[in-house]
Amino acid sequence: MNSRKRTRLKLKKSLPLLLMALPGLAYLVINNYIPMAGIIIAFKKMDYAKGVFGSDWVGFDNFKFLFSTPDAWIMTRNTLLYNLAFIVIGTICALAVALCMNEIKERFFAKYFQGAFLLPNLISMVVVSYIVFAFLNTDTGLLNRTVLPALGVSEINFYSQPQAWPLILLIVYLWKNTGYASVIYLAGIASIDPTLYEAARIDGAGKWDQIRFITLPQLKSIIIILTLLSVGRIMFSDFGLFYQVPMNSGPLYSTTQTIDTYVYRGLMQLGNIGMSSAAGLYQSIVGFVLVLTANYLVKKISPENAMF
Amino acid sequence: MEKETKLLMKRTTLTLLSFLVAACLLLIAPAAAQSTEPPVEIHFAFLTFNRVSEALESVESAIDEITVPRINVKVKLHPYSIADYAQQINLALQSGEALDVFHTLGDLPQSVSQNKVRDITDLVDEYAPDAKAVVGDFLKAAMINGRLYGIPTYKGAALAPNLVYRADIMAEIGIDPSTITSFHDLTAVYAKVKETHPEMVPLTPDSAGSLGLIRSLHGIDFLGDDPFRLNNVGALIGDSLTVVNFFESKEFIDTITLTRDWYNAGYILKDAATTTSNCLEQLTGGKAFSCIASYSGQEAYVQISAQTGRDIRMVRLGQPYLTTSAVNALTWSVASTSQHPEAALKFMNLIFSDRDVINLIIYGLEGRDYVKVDADHVRYPDGQDANTVPYTAQLSCGIVGNQFIQYAMDGTNMDDLKLWDYENKNSPRSPAFGFTFDNSGVTNEVSAVQNVINEYLPGLSTGSMDPEVELPNFIAKLKAAGMDKIIAAKQAQLDAWVSQQQ
Repeated sequence: MNSRKRTRLKLKKSLPLLLMALPGLAYLVINNYIPMAGIIIAFKKMDYAKGVFGSDWVGFDNFKFLFSTPDAWIMTRNTLLYNLAFIVIGTICALAVALCMNEIKERFFAKYFQGAFLLPNLISMVVVSYIVFAFLNTDTGLLNRTVLPALGVSEINFYSQPQAWPLILLIVYLWKNTGYASVIYLAGIASIDPTLYEAARIDGAGKWDQIRFITLPQLKSIIIILTLLSVGRIMFSDFGLFYQVPMNSGPLYSTTQTIDTYVYRGLMQLGNIGMSSAAGLYQSIVGFVLVLTANYLVKKISPENAMF
Repeated sequence: MEKETKLLMKRTTLTLLSFLVAACLLLIAPAAAQSTEPPVEIHFAFLTFNRVSEALESVESAIDEITVPRINVKVKLHPYSIADYAQQINLALQSGEALDVFHTLGDLPQSVSQNKVRDITDLVDEYAPDAKAVVGDFLKAAMINGRLYGIPTYKGAALAPNLVYRADIMAEIGIDPSTITSFHDLTAVYAKVKETHPEMVPLTPDSAGSLGLIRSLHGIDFLGDDPFRLNNVGALIGDSLTVVNFFESKEFIDTITLTRDWYNAGYILKDAATTTSNCLEQLTGGKAFSCIASYSGQEAYVQISAQTGRDIRMVRLGQPYLTTSAVNALTWSVASTSQHPEAALKFMNLIFSDRDVINLIIYGLEGRDYVKVDADHVRYPDGQDANTVPYTAQLSCGIVGNQFIQYAMDGTNMDDLKLWDYENKNSPRSPAFGFTFDNSGVTNEVSAVQNVINEYLPGLSTGSMDPEVELPNFIAKLKAAGMDKIIAAKQAQLDAWVSQQQ
């Protein structure tokens, strides 16, 4: 009785908050949960006259094309390795940029650098691909026409040199995304209690010691959460980065083909939505399992930083 | 009837012009609409390359003035841009939204295997006899397993490969274009262009990754469903009915070897395999001498000259060759989810046979959207163009119904249109004309092979890959991706089709 009363009281207290959350929850349910029923397409042979739910079951047939190709290994390896590199190097760079920006005390320059770092994030990948093309192409590219001749190196046809692309894509990725990620870290740094730094300074700690013993430990939970979130997307690749930036050039497939680009290229002609749904479902499930695993490991090592 | 007429009258006040059209029709239309049933409304989707118009209602009611008395059908137009078309059609079919008539976009076999389009074999004679008569033997291209799934757009389908070149430069280097009859004659031409205009690229791609050379090989039927890209393994060469791997054929190897020689000699744009800048842009920019592209008729250069601001001419590098996919890429079909297939077919019949209906769909309302120059030619009203008139779908002229009963834009040579029609009827046809490959049994292999072709074909067909080194890799990867299974499936279906024909 008493406890029920307490529950009611609690509910009454939080009612305004719950009401405020309602539109968001409704959005989440309508937009994210109800469409999940569409997962069923991945197991069906789509027949438009019978509709999504009336079509015939085909079990796991739609998934086969992802594994029956000799390229299955290449595209999975590329997807995983690129994303791993992006997570590790991307986090380090974003942290470094955030730490540096935090040290800029002059307001004008602080704003300038934040804006400058953020700008690439707002540019569409299609535009980025042409910026890269302006650097790399053989006929008029900056590198081939200006830089390489000055160094006495003969021209390089980048769009048929697969070994150059892991580096090119990494640079493009960092150029585009570092600014955005660093803003999040910068916000994290700003929320650290300044008295900690004061105390450290009094104890004679230098800049480096302050970063090592105050800033990084304080940022740990943000870093872990952002990393966990990226791990969930590890089987997905930034389609624009891998499709547009290499200009869909065939000779580069060995280092630029990812699961997403393979699916796109393979199904363009077939127009089979069952197979494309199967690919998406497969990526999501692997991502989900990886997030759970990573979170489990974090929980083992430092429970207070785990997501759930 | 009384009520219907009143309704008609009311709507006709919209524009004086449509009133006149309707009045004429009311006079000439006999008691065709005896039924007192309310008109059936059908939804008609098509691809437009023009700005998607917002003034659809005025055009729709003008069409209704014609169609209600004649076939008791009203129409709702759904023009979609190329970026939206496939998705909108899929959505409409999936959600059961109203969609009755639409056209395929190079995907008739998939549309049939995924049951997007209705089998109209038993309905066509009764409800669309005129359309059937117009397209003649093109109808075969829309048949799969002896059943009919639509009516192919009747337009200039017989495409001939042409060298599209700068006439001023050709005159300067002193070569008589009439001596050029195939792309093998071009080596000498390009050598001279390179010599006299080193700043110019002799040959640029007509679209990304394709120089148009392979498409200009005569007598090859890729038995595919996508005529725009060469992404099929397994082709028929000449009169043979044996499916072979095209990429191992002498025709292909000879072509890419020549291309490689041209590439090494500097006759081809270095970035041809990846560039997205098309032939027209290159010609406009004055950096290119020529490209190789396929056109119907012999007058396309007039428009290219106007678009590029250069003196462009064309010379044929081969003759047209009709294959199934050249014809059925655009096939008008009835949606499988349509509630009114009979009405849909009746309307489809009119877009192939009724001048007024088709011209309303393509050009909109006379006076407002276009003015007539003479009996066959129209232009935009003074001070207006395609972007400013309330309604036009002029660039869909080769998409909707029958192109030969449409008005032509001012300046079009009607004799050339006659040549289009003549070549449609008289061009040599593939021995497998009418056969359509259904790839639904080998989808895994098709998606794998597709990726391999994307990897190698642009490089090989533009000369940036060395065939000596890369061709064997290409073939090996195709085999590993399951090419032989696709070829075997094609052969089996083709054999069945051949025995059905006898």
